[in-house]
Amino acid sequence: MRRTPAKRRPTVRRIKPAIVSGRRPVTARPATSGTTAPTAPGPSRTPATARYESVPASESAATRVSGAGVDLSVDLGRGLVLENPVLVASGTFGYGVEYGDVVDVQALGAICCKGTTLRPRIGNQPPRVTETPAGMLNSIGLQNPGVDGVIEKYAPLWATWRGPVIVNVAGESIEDYVGVVRKLEGVPGIAGIELNISCPNVGKGGLQFAVDAEAAQAVTAAVRAETELPLMVKLSPNVADVRAIARAIEEGGADSISAINTLSGIAVDLHARRPLLGNVYGGVSGPAIKPIALRVVYEVAQAVDIPVVGIGGIGSTEDALEFFFVGASAVQVGTAIFADPTVPARIVDGLARYCAEHGYGSVAELVGLALPKGPRARPVPPSVKGVEYRP
Amino acid sequence: MRLLSAELVESREILPGQYLQTYLAPDLALAAKSGQFVHMRTPDYSGLVLRRPFSVNTADRARGLITIHFRITGKGSEWIARSRPGERLEMLGPLGRPFEVDPRSRHILLIAGGLGIAGVRLLADEALEEGRRVVLLFGATRAAEVYPSALLPDEVEYVVATDDGSVGQDGFVTALVPEYEAWADQAFACGPFAMLKALARLAAGRDARLGVARLGGKRRGRSRTPALGSAMARRHSFLQVSMEQHMGCAVGACLGCVVMGVGSAPQRVCREGPVFASDEVDWEIGW
Repeated sequence: MRRTPAKRRPTVRRIKPAIVSGRRPVTARPATSGTTAPTAPGPSRTPATARYESVPASESAATRVSGAGVDLSVDLGRGLVLENPVLVASGTFGYGVEYGDVVDVQALGAICCKGTTLRPRIGNQPPRVTETPAGMLNSIGLQNPGVDGVIEKYAPLWATWRGPVIVNVAGESIEDYVGVVRKLEGVPGIAGIELNISCPNVGKGGLQFAVDAEAAQAVTAAVRAETELPLMVKLSPNVADVRAIARAIEEGGADSISAINTLSGIAVDLHARRPLLGNVYGGVSGPAIKPIALRVVYEVAQAVDIPVVGIGGIGSTEDALEFFFVGASAVQVGTAIFADPTVPARIVDGLARYCAEHGYGSVAELVGLALPKGPRARPVPPSVKGVEYRP
Repeated sequence: MRLLSAELVESREILPGQYLQTYLAPDLALAAKSGQFVHMRTPDYSGLVLRRPFSVNTADRARGLITIHFRITGKGSEWIARSRPGERLEMLGPLGRPFEVDPRSRHILLIAGGLGIAGVRLLADEALEEGRRVVLLFGATRAAEVYPSALLPDEVEYVVATDDGSVGQDGFVTALVPEYEAWADQAFACGPFAMLKALARLAAGRDARLGVARLGGKRRGRSRTPALGSAMARRHSFLQVSMEQHMGCAVGACLGCVVMGVGSAPQRVCREGPVFASDEVDWEIGW
């Protein structure tokens, strides 16, 4: 018998948004100070039934200025404007309620919730996590209550939060993805979709869409046709050339790309002389994968025109800055939350301080500073399958 | 649940490779109940990305002290063992659900396997404070691993079994249980999975034999069965176990530390546990 989890009200103090009946427009707020007056209703404040409208960057920049004078807002397309560019990565923050009052969810740019599938999944056999050098391996196997469970249990709560919640969607077939997205469409409290086509820990599906450009484009286009929600697609680093896949995803109609998911890996139990994880394979995350993530973001940012959200081993302001410099418009913090749940909020403050100290008026000005000068300095190679990786 | 920094007051190697550390953490000492744990950040921030969970071994509310008891098993525990008095370590806690003692229980049976003593140690203090009688059955591989009786309150009846027979009873600690089963009102165990599984089988046998005498079960002609996993159901169960699993976040977000519950419902050790009633866990599937 499946037990219903305790109905737990989070103890975090929350501010009700102006519109609670429909899908909330996402507006920016001063990031470093809670004392500044709220921003005037901007162009993104749409009626309850209206779709998201993209806010021109110039307008948003004019109205969104933090207490320190630094604009931290980021536009991830289709009206998904975040108050700050620090998100929490899927799978590391549950559904936003687990950390209780240890973390102020209102200080986060957005929350990417645990991977959600059409039907409930019980996940993989434990052990599911283990520490590895400068990182960790996980093989949860997408345990989740299914999209209906998520909508019923968490969406009403999310609708009362100021920060947007992006639902991470996983599946085994295009029909699965489309089915989940169809159910999420129009549900109050759901601000966007992160398409997880790169989970390395499930037998079927997951990764197969992330390693083949045609499949990636097909699933992105199929989901795009079903939803007006902002669509972020999460890339896998477990591929030969990530640029071709990023291009395909952009052509499929994604609004942004997040990179990277975990790298496939194995840990061995020395005493038992067998693989440590119950599922044998797991995904490596943490500081160990940061150089790889930076490389992928560097390549993808030059290959596509949509915003890139950097993920991989970010645990400090300096780490986040590196991602901005190689072309990320926003970052997701994952594994570092396990060591210190206050990391995302501290990165937000650190970014504002860095910009103020170095004379930048907004975080957007930092994006791509380390990229080669000139548009498309490096030509994007044609889609090639099974060819050795050549940078 | 709070995030706090605790000052290490004392660190002692009580057994070869096993440490007992005392921390000044008044909030934790006040809030922690037996069965709960703290999630400690290791002092090596660069290489070790995961915190380490430790049962609250004892809590001294008056002086604001808690102790943890652990064995050096890897880099994280080694770092923590190497910490010196005066250093501050970051803790998240108290976490998890505590043991549920029925107010009517007068005889408490504690069963610990090796380091599992850390999981039930605080319950001995709490039970004695509430005027209950406590028997502790302790199992270890050999004499060198036996928990020193000097670290236990005098009122606890302490019975030891070792696998090689070097101290106390020769054999597994589970062999001692039938002798005390009839005496005990409730039993609480912490230790290796195989030990807990054997105990769960014994407990199920007891329920069958005694016809599960549930106190206060009938009201207005129909029995009210508390929901599986609720505090009430746990209080009514004979055996509660404290379980272990590789842990990630320790707050229920990452779903890393699950054990399989009955009805194919994975239960998070950090959130629904670490304490479970023995009938909540699917012992056959071996998760």
